[in-house]
Amino acid sequence: MRIVFLVAVLGAAIFYSYIAFADLNFMTRTGRLGPGFFPRIVGLTMVAMTLLAILDALRDRARVNAGGAPGADDAPDGRWRDFVLLVAMALGYAVLIRLFGGLVSTVLYLGLALALLNPGRHLQNALVAIIFPACVYLLFDRVLNANMPPALIDLPF
Amino acid sequence: MDIFSDLVMGLSIAITPINLLYLLIGAMVGMIVGVIPGFGPSAGLAILLPITFGMDPVGAIMMLAAIYYGSMYGGTITSILLNTPGESATVASTFDGYPLAKNGRAGPALVMQAVASFVGGTVGVILITILAPMFSQVSRSFGPPEYFLLAMMGMLTLLVMIGSNWKLGVISALIGFALGTVGVDLETGQGRYTFGSAELIGGIYFIPIAIGLFGLGELFYAFYSGMHRHGSGGLVQYSKEQRFWPTAEDYISTRWTMLRGSVLGFVVGVIPGAGATIASLMAYSTERSLSKHPERFGKGEMAGLVAPETANNAASSGAMIPLLTLGIPGSASTAVLLAAFLLWGLRPGPLFMEQNPEMAWGLIASMYLGNMVLLAISIFAIPLFVQIIKVPYRILGPCIVVICALGTFTVHASFIELYLMFAAGIVGFFMRLYGFSPAALVLALVLGPLAEEALRQTMTISRGSFGIFLDRPASVWIICVTAALLVLLPLLGRIGSGAGKAEKAGG
Amino acid sequence: MTNFDTTLRLGAMTLALAAPLAVATPAIAQEYPDPGQTLDWTIAFGPGGGNDIMARTIVDILNTYDLYPGDIAVENRAGGSGAVGWGYLFGQSGSGYGISTTSGSFVTTPLQADTPWEPADFTPVALLATDDLVLVVNGSSEIQNIDEFIAYAQANPITIAGTGTVNVDFIVPTLFAQAAGFEFEYVSFNSMADQTTALLSESVDAMVGNPGEILGLIDSGDLRALVYSGASTPAALEGVPTMGDVGHDIGVSMPRGLILPPDAPAEAQQFWIETMQRVVETPEWAAYIENNTLTPTVLYGEEFRTFLSNTQNGFAEVLRSVGAIQ
Repeated sequence: MRIVFLVAVLGAAIFYSYIAFADLNFMTRTGRLGPGFFPRIVGLTMVAMTLLAILDALRDRARVNAGGAPGADDAPDGRWRDFVLLVAMALGYAVLIRLFGGLVSTVLYLGLALALLNPGRHLQNALVAIIFPACVYLLFDRVLNANMPPALIDLPF
Repeated sequence: MDIFSDLVMGLSIAITPINLLYLLIGAMVGMIVGVIPGFGPSAGLAILLPITFGMDPVGAIMMLAAIYYGSMYGGTITSILLNTPGESATVASTFDGYPLAKNGRAGPALVMQAVASFVGGTVGVILITILAPMFSQVSRSFGPPEYFLLAMMGMLTLLVMIGSNWKLGVISALIGFALGTVGVDLETGQGRYTFGSAELIGGIYFIPIAIGLFGLGELFYAFYSGMHRHGSGGLVQYSKEQRFWPTAEDYISTRWTMLRGSVLGFVVGVIPGAGATIASLMAYSTERSLSKHPERFGKGEMAGLVAPETANNAASSGAMIPLLTLGIPGSASTAVLLAAFLLWGLRPGPLFMEQNPEMAWGLIASMYLGNMVLLAISIFAIPLFVQIIKVPYRILGPCIVVICALGTFTVHASFIELYLMFAAGIVGFFMRLYGFSPAALVLALVLGPLAEEALRQTMTISRGSFGIFLDRPASVWIICVTAALLVLLPLLGRIGSGAGKAEKAGG
Repeated sequence: MTNFDTTLRLGAMTLALAAPLAVATPAIAQEYPDPGQTLDWTIAFGPGGGNDIMARTIVDILNTYDLYPGDIAVENRAGGSGAVGWGYLFGQSGSGYGISTTSGSFVTTPLQADTPWEPADFTPVALLATDDLVLVVNGSSEIQNIDEFIAYAQANPITIAGTGTVNVDFIVPTLFAQAAGFEFEYVSFNSMADQTTALLSESVDAMVGNPGEILGLIDSGDLRALVYSGASTPAALEGVPTMGDVGHDIGVSMPRGLILPPDAPAEAQQFWIETMQRVVETPEWAAYIENNTLTPTVLYGEEFRTFLSNTQNGFAEVLRSVGAIQ
């Protein structure tokens, strides 16, 4: 998995460097350091360093496959299922916020997340899912007059 | 003594029942806006500014200033308890604050951060009182060449942040630099990586990235390691009677840290634009490289919490110097204070303290009182905040997601920043899992734009010549200090570890 | 029910309603503003900023003098350098009950990002004031006045600092230099504070900036004001000539005005023009102008639209010539 993450970073680094070279000039017309100066250096170094790290990771994997002990940098085992579930819910929340605004989406998200993570305790979950967003809404919107995400679609209540 | 009589005059203005009430309100609001991740002092100030229109300016400025430095007290609470920085200047406090809480020392960590904030804030005000004119010279000798050198000095501290695997550490820093280049290019006005989005014109802001990397990243990691499946309690252990107060050793071992953090923080704070975030990160790195036990940093070392905490509070005091002596705001928060001065028809500038002594000294005097009030509030409020960690993690987890998301949105009302925060959370999880350095990333994100802009401004001014760094006295000073640090720090470290070994051998 | 059905039914309903509406419209129009309608006042920036303070000052004046009969709901819709708030107003096309104040970003944001709107799309009410700039040098400089400055700049390479590039800070000295016949290097900073520090540390030769924030430094002699870009010099800068006075008028400034959604009813536009004519006469407005060191420049209706178009075209031209925008 480390290699997968590193390859993703490499992809991002290549994309970043591509734009730095394609769209941004190294020097300005007047001969000053241009907008592409720093991005090009950063992008190229990032590509090189990520390649080195991928080589390291491949070497580690070969060693582990050959029966060696995992190195210090290898990730501890964990519950990928729970991680993916939580991330999926967080991303769902991000979409809900855009659609229904801060208050409604928070109630929906907390209701769903607690039902999955804290199963069986319906009363406790319902209370948290309603009281917590209500308090946050009151504090942010009423007391502090802070920005709350506006709803794209107004629900009928 | 001129200063003394001025200060007494200031105190006599500050200590009226109504002004003390405003101070108290400001301190409490500051704590609250500090505690909410994302919702920082500048937003808090801006929101309360309209309320002050009808007020007496002295009381109003006391209240606004209390919000400003009070947020530094509150900002650390979530850093320690949830690994989620309450605002950008308290990111460095997560590095050791959160491990301390995980080791069962949440109570002592919270008390020590309040004490450290108090020391930093108070040392800062003392320095303002006696040395304001001198430091005003520091503020006015910083131009682009000096900022570039300052950023380079900051880069040295990156070395400390890089962590055990240097390749992954460097990649982390490069990601930070890359994110720092997003936005409209300052010099040419050309968009870089904005893809036509209006929300990216101003660049990628520090707060969503920090909240995502540290707050959400840690949360995902906790679920990955199965924390939510524990019956009750969370990541952090806490028992009330047993270990609420710090031990004598906590104070003794960090007494020099407090002093160093305060002075360093103050000096960095005096430089307009450098600010509390850079001060706290630099203080952390400095402390780690000076420490006899650098290996303990990041695992719950008290000095690693105390250093950034004293520094960010001292820096927020230091930032008052350019504001009061030159009328130049060094940060977003002091810019709101400046706007307040202008609204009241005052003219901040070099003559401000002479023309409005009751205002300036009332404010300075109120900062002594404010720090005391905040220390008291903190100690009083800590047992309440610690209740958070008694909530089972499976319930607390989703609530943290909500607070991170809505807190991020309050800053600029930007959905793109909200999505960036979630993305940073996922990236932060993998970085933590595979031994990258999120700390190097955020430091690079702060220093990268500063270095790039300052270098390009310098090259424009000098028409491409590097000689400018040797022509300016302030630049030469910074180069000398940096060189001295480079030579002295490893030496000090060697003496330290030598002394440590000698102690061990002797004991 | 299919979508087609819905459309048909809606169509029929519209037709049925259209006839009475056609008769009713003039009556409603004459009644603008309808006290039962809440005025939706958008501030495209967060609380505490220049735009916010101006909007709230106007709303205060409207309430104090009872100039608007209905309720006014003021809402900060910040984000994307104004793109979010003005985008919201753009979406209320045709309505007379949406309103917003403008500032510099109203011209510059569409130049930098793909906004669906342009300044000239909105229904203009009035230009109320302009943000103008003062050119200053360090107080220790040998340059005492603008003539010496121009002579010095013609003979020596100089640097002028300002905030940002897609900004009036860059446009004003560029146009002024063209008119006065000198060349300079522009050094762009992130904020007024940064550029002021740069000038105080003698890193740059001069800078342009909003006078309000540096009056204290001008009073104390740390900075020396040379020339002002507005049509008339504010009281606080007495004795400083305008660019017009020295014969190099450039006519570019940041508009602080009031706009309605695109295609707002003519009655609404007329009502607001008349209302603002009364607002600018109040002592509260005069105090606002003075405290913020703005230039009171007033234009109404279509003249304001022309002003916006000219300003934006001027900006685009200068910026294109230096390659900042395509």
